[in-house]
Amino acid sequence: MKPILLKNQFNPEAYKVESYVAGGGYESLKKAFTMKPDDIIQLVKDSGLRGRGGAGFPTGLKWSFIPKDPTMQKYLACNADEGEPGTFKDRGIINNDPHLLIEGMTIASFAFGASVSYIYIRGEFVFGARRLEAAIAEAYEKGFLGENIMGSGFSHDMYVHCGAGAYICGEETALIDSLEGRRGTPRIKPPFPAIEGLNSKPTVINNVETLSTVPSIIKNGAKWFAGIGPEKCPGPKIYGVSGHVQKPGLYELPMGTPIREIIFNHAGGIKGGTFKAAIPGGITAPMLVEKDLDTRMDFDSLAAKQSMLGSGGVIVMNNSTCMVKVALITNRFFSHESCGKCTPCREGTTWITQILKRMEDGEGRPGDTAEIERLCGMIFGRTFCPLGDGATMAIRGNLAHFRDEFIYHEEHGRCKV
Amino acid sequence: MAKLTINGKFIEVKDGTLILEAAKQAGIEIPTFCYQADLSRIGACRICLVEIAGQRKLMTSCTTPVMEGMEVNSESAAVQESRKGVIEFFLSNHSLDCPVCDKAGECELQDMVYKHGPRKGSFKEKKIRFHEKDYPLSPVIIKNSNRCVKCTRCIRVCRDTVGVGVLGSMGRGAHQEETSFLRTYLDCDHCGNCIEVCPVGCFMRRPYRYKSRPWDLKSADTICPYCATGCTSKIQERDGEVVRSISKMGKGVNNELLCARGRFGFDFISNEDRLTTPLMRKDGELVPVSWDEALESLAVNLGAFAPERIGGIASARLTNEDLFLFQDLMRSAFKTNNIDSSARWNRDSVSAFIKATGINEGGVSLRGALEGVDAIFIVGTQISEENPVTDYLLRRSFDSRWVFTMIASARAMKLDSCAQLTMRHDPATENALLTAIAKVIFDDAGEKAAGLDCAELFKDLSLKDLSDESGVDQSDIGAAARKLFGSESATFFAGTEFLRFPDGLRGFSLLKELLTALGKKITVVPVLDRCNQRGAWDMGVHPAFGPGYEPVENPGLGNAGMLEAADARQLDALYIAGVDILNNYPDFETAEKALSKLQYLVVNELFLTGTAAMADLVLPVASFAEKAGTMTNQEGRVQSMSPLMKPPGEARTAHDIFSALLKAHDFEFNVAKPKGTFEKIQANVKSYADVELLNERSDKSLTGESGNTVSSSILEKEADEEDQTPAYTAEDLPLTLITGNHLFYSGMLSSRSATLGSLLKEAIVEINDTDAKKYDLKSGDHVTVTGRYHEGRYAVRVKNGSRKGVAFIPENFKTGPVNRFFRKGEWSQKVRLKKVDA
Ligand SMILES: Cc1cc2nc3c(=O)[nH]c(=O)nc-3n(C[C@H](O)[C@H](O)[C@H](O)COP(=O)(O)O)c2cc1C
Ligand code: SF4
Ligand code: SF4
Ligand code: SF4
Ligand code: SF4
Ligand code: FES
Repeated sequence: MKPILLKNQFNPEAYKVESYVAGGGYESLKKAFTMKPDDIIQLVKDSGLRGRGGAGFPTGLKWSFIPKDPTMQKYLACNADEGEPGTFKDRGIINNDPHLLIEGMTIASFAFGASVSYIYIRGEFVFGARRLEAAIAEAYEKGFLGENIMGSGFSHDMYVHCGAGAYICGEETALIDSLEGRRGTPRIKPPFPAIEGLNSKPTVINNVETLSTVPSIIKNGAKWFAGIGPEKCPGPKIYGVSGHVQKPGLYELPMGTPIREIIFNHAGGIKGGTFKAAIPGGITAPMLVEKDLDTRMDFDSLAAKQSMLGSGGVIVMNNSTCMVKVALITNRFFSHESCGKCTPCREGTTWITQILKRMEDGEGRPGDTAEIERLCGMIFGRTFCPLGDGATMAIRGNLAHFRDEFIYHEEHGRCKV
Repeated sequence: MAKLTINGKFIEVKDGTLILEAAKQAGIEIPTFCYQADLSRIGACRICLVEIAGQRKLMTSCTTPVMEGMEVNSESAAVQESRKGVIEFFLSNHSLDCPVCDKAGECELQDMVYKHGPRKGSFKEKKIRFHEKDYPLSPVIIKNSNRCVKCTRCIRVCRDTVGVGVLGSMGRGAHQEETSFLRTYLDCDHCGNCIEVCPVGCFMRRPYRYKSRPWDLKSADTICPYCATGCTSKIQERDGEVVRSISKMGKGVNNELLCARGRFGFDFISNEDRLTTPLMRKDGELVPVSWDEALESLAVNLGAFAPERIGGIASARLTNEDLFLFQDLMRSAFKTNNIDSSARWNRDSVSAFIKATGINEGGVSLRGALEGVDAIFIVGTQISEENPVTDYLLRRSFDSRWVFTMIASARAMKLDSCAQLTMRHDPATENALLTAIAKVIFDDAGEKAAGLDCAELFKDLSLKDLSDESGVDQSDIGAAARKLFGSESATFFAGTEFLRFPDGLRGFSLLKELLTALGKKITVVPVLDRCNQRGAWDMGVHPAFGPGYEPVENPGLGNAGMLEAADARQLDALYIAGVDILNNYPDFETAEKALSKLQYLVVNELFLTGTAAMADLVLPVASFAEKAGTMTNQEGRVQSMSPLMKPPGEARTAHDIFSALLKAHDFEFNVAKPKGTFEKIQANVKSYADVELLNERSDKSLTGESGNTVSSSILEKEADEEDQTPAYTAEDLPLTLITGNHLFYSGMLSSRSATLGSLLKEAIVEINDTDAKKYDLKSGDHVTVTGRYHEGRYAVRVKNGSRKGVAFIPENFKTGPVNRFFRKGEWSQKVRLKKVDA
């Protein structure tokens, strides 16, 4: 497949507006302005595009929830928080092809009538934030942003807002809190952001990759897009592969490419040893083992395997990996990033981390594994937002395959591997 | 209405009701932590999860509204298991130090574990500890974060209701701590509402620390003795000392709220300077005497003067029963109408205020006045400092319903941040401002207003002159006018500035009349700074009217008139019940001169105040904690209070003293308990006839449509000539001095409260930021304030956003009493500030 989203990854000049335009950039925006906003929404609906931020929500449908009242202030917030370990796809687009994102955001804003948009970018992405700001300045200069863009009558302003280092601010309502200048914690839904979002106004939150996909849909049409990959979740998808592989990196492939193909054909196979397990979509996603390698990497196929596509960040582990350590690292991340709002996640993930730390340090006690399982049961399904659930899914996924390694730690105070 | 079942029980509730509240209506209790009625809903703690048929997950009953046909189960196995889990999580990092926790015995976590909790927990890891020792956050708050359940009730009440917002969550996850920014010492309202809402022993009262266990306390329901918001509270005593005042969710106008004065200002009760025996002047000295001797000498001495040479002034902090007997005593025993209930307001200002605000016409419910109203106009009151809980309640009401709000005042105030329009006018120019607004409305109304009675008045008015006089921009005046004109209903909050500067009432009445004539529904909520000011008027403690605003035949003298008469040796004897005239009367010199010329001065007091020290007879009285009775708040809400303990030493209730004196005069007089007197009040004051004394949240205790007849002649009298005397101006005195109450300082009682004293340690003068820059002053600097008649030393406080050219010194400082700067007949005084070394 010819890359769509990553086509400019190896063009060191692509971040500049001239180069982007020379490659056909901002043509889709021009084309969009010849369409009726509602027709753009319909087109995106027809394409079958589903959000790339993790939940896979149909993008056109999300846009259609925004009230039609033209006098009402509306916003677009691009989610560039990319905090999930193992995920680095959005960074690729931001650093190397920022105008692709800007173009996609402007088209989206035109479609549902947002006059202002924000890129909420992970605080550590200092380079990316500067690059985006420079690109936005260029876009203003060339008339792709600002007043009456390309004579269309549509005006739009875009800002970059840097996060302050909290993973939870990638959750859309916490992101809004943070954009408003508060300490970010998830909000009660309803009201959904499409009705009451940023500054209590209708707001769409979309992932970087989702928005960057939009220009190609405008250019090539819904049919083209729907023809790539599975019927229920089509399109090109960026898979970020890391861990024990020969060639870690970003691979843009049709949605639904089997994970075996991604790891062994594209990422060059296992580095140092043999395949043990892979986390398919950011550390929240329950891991897959040898027997699952033919699973297709799309929302529905992975869900059928009790796992999830999430962000599409694949973490590969070879047979030297201690799964208790994996559990500790993963869970420590969640307890560190738990926003503290709800009791089960705040206390439960911390408790589990404490147990895992002991086990890893050789101070495991009989019953620790069972205790972790009990605690997962006390967390799962009872938290305020998906972070707490995600933490338990990761551990449960691990235990489903490698419980014996945990017991070994309990009994022997050291790793089985 | 929606029909649903909870645990199989069928119930029908209003649409939008939360499952939790529906369950409560059905008599089913669902445990909660982060939920609190009237605070924003966050659904965070997860203790209230319930099962709903057809839902995959358990749902929070504190955020989920009911739906038609819903089947809820709050006790299913899954729910119980989840609940136990949440409690186990709460306890995992909780310090479990109940034996040394002040909250033990009334802790929601303890109760919860007892009722629902697992009997055993399995947490064996190291607990997260935030600190080893509890740390003070303010003179009234001490904090222990190791017990926190992270419900954020403290943060929400402080930010959303109190409007201060100095609390927040530091850190994240299990390391999250609800406290001040970097745990720094707080400069806040010190209201202690964070303490009240904290379910566990994190936010604790510092003055109450380690003083008692809740089960060792004796309690009594009472009314806050400070402002006329009329907050209800429970005061609690141990071993003869009042140690705590608490508010109660669901009780009173105030619900769980109190301000610093109501929560911490009670300790004057146990001040060791309380008077305990009657004192009589013998050979120039005040010496202890028996009650028999005291009362006999009082009856004989006062009775010896001609009625027109006697006067009485009673505090607006006495109960209705006390005040009713007081005026009865003065009128029937001593045959005089020289009666007043304040040393601060002028007799005719009071009449005009009552008329303009419609106090005589019956009660007004604060909640009712906010419901469905289109605009709110707050004028002539420092509501955020004088009536803090009224401020909190207003802010809270904006949370659920946004109303266009305007504030006009010289000083900035906390409530400004809730207002869409603030107008900073020069002191005492309410008349110009309100008249200007009325003028714009009149002009805009055109035809509709042309035929009105008041049309003539507007003819010669110049908007520009009025705008210049008040110092408020014409554009703001226009905006206020248009908002009022465009509204169908508006609620005015009108306060004590109108009593200080009654001229403003002309503009106020004009505006009110005009709006009413234009078909608007206008409601006025009077905002008063003494707990029973309204009751004092209702009881007829006024020279021109008796109980129920019944006009008297020969109106007597008000406080100013009495002092003037005393000065001219036309009045010989005064009976003062609980008013420190020397500190209160807005002209110290005149007051002192007048009192010293009296032949006989009797004072009922808690303390040997300056005024009491001049008396021939001082009678020690009971404080609010030591007596029964009723008080009427600014809304007209009649509420009862009960005694917690006995007065110290031989001190007696004012009610006992007045009864004894009435009995001495008239053997037929039936000495009754306050309850009996209340029955008399009900017989004499029509609006009290059907009052129910519930002290509940309902408005049933509001005095209704009054049926009181008020002769308009009394109330329509123009304010005294003297109030219109032009201001004295001098080049070298550039600032206009104004006064009023301070958040921690309002009147004699507060000055005897050690806790309130610790919140404001010295007398202050407040100026705005522009003037501070101009005179190179900052908060904390010390200055001498020099006026025409007086000079004093004060600490500077800078308040951003107040009117420039204004200096504010609160009333009643023991050091630096503001009344020394004033002289009768000169409505305003000018001062200058000069920095001195600390
Ligand atoms: C704990 C948590 C973290 C999240 N972090 C991110 C993130 O870093 N980037 C992102 O695009 N979406 C993230 N999401 C998903 C967003 O909430 C949201 O669903 C997404 O941005 C929607 O965009 P899409 O419709 O384009 O997928 C996160 C969700 C959760 C619950
Ligand atoms: S599950 Fe609860 S504590 Fe965890 S991140 Fe979400 S809201 Fe915060
Ligand atoms: S005392 Fe009042 S103002 Fe101060 S922190 Fe507590 S709630 Fe806020
Ligand atoms: S300090 Fe008290 S009120 Fe505040 S979050 Fe903790 S437990 Fe709740
Ligand atoms: S607002 Fe007034 S009545 Fe209420 S606690 Fe404060 S001083 Fe007392
Ligand atoms: S009370 Fe419902 S979640 Fe806390």
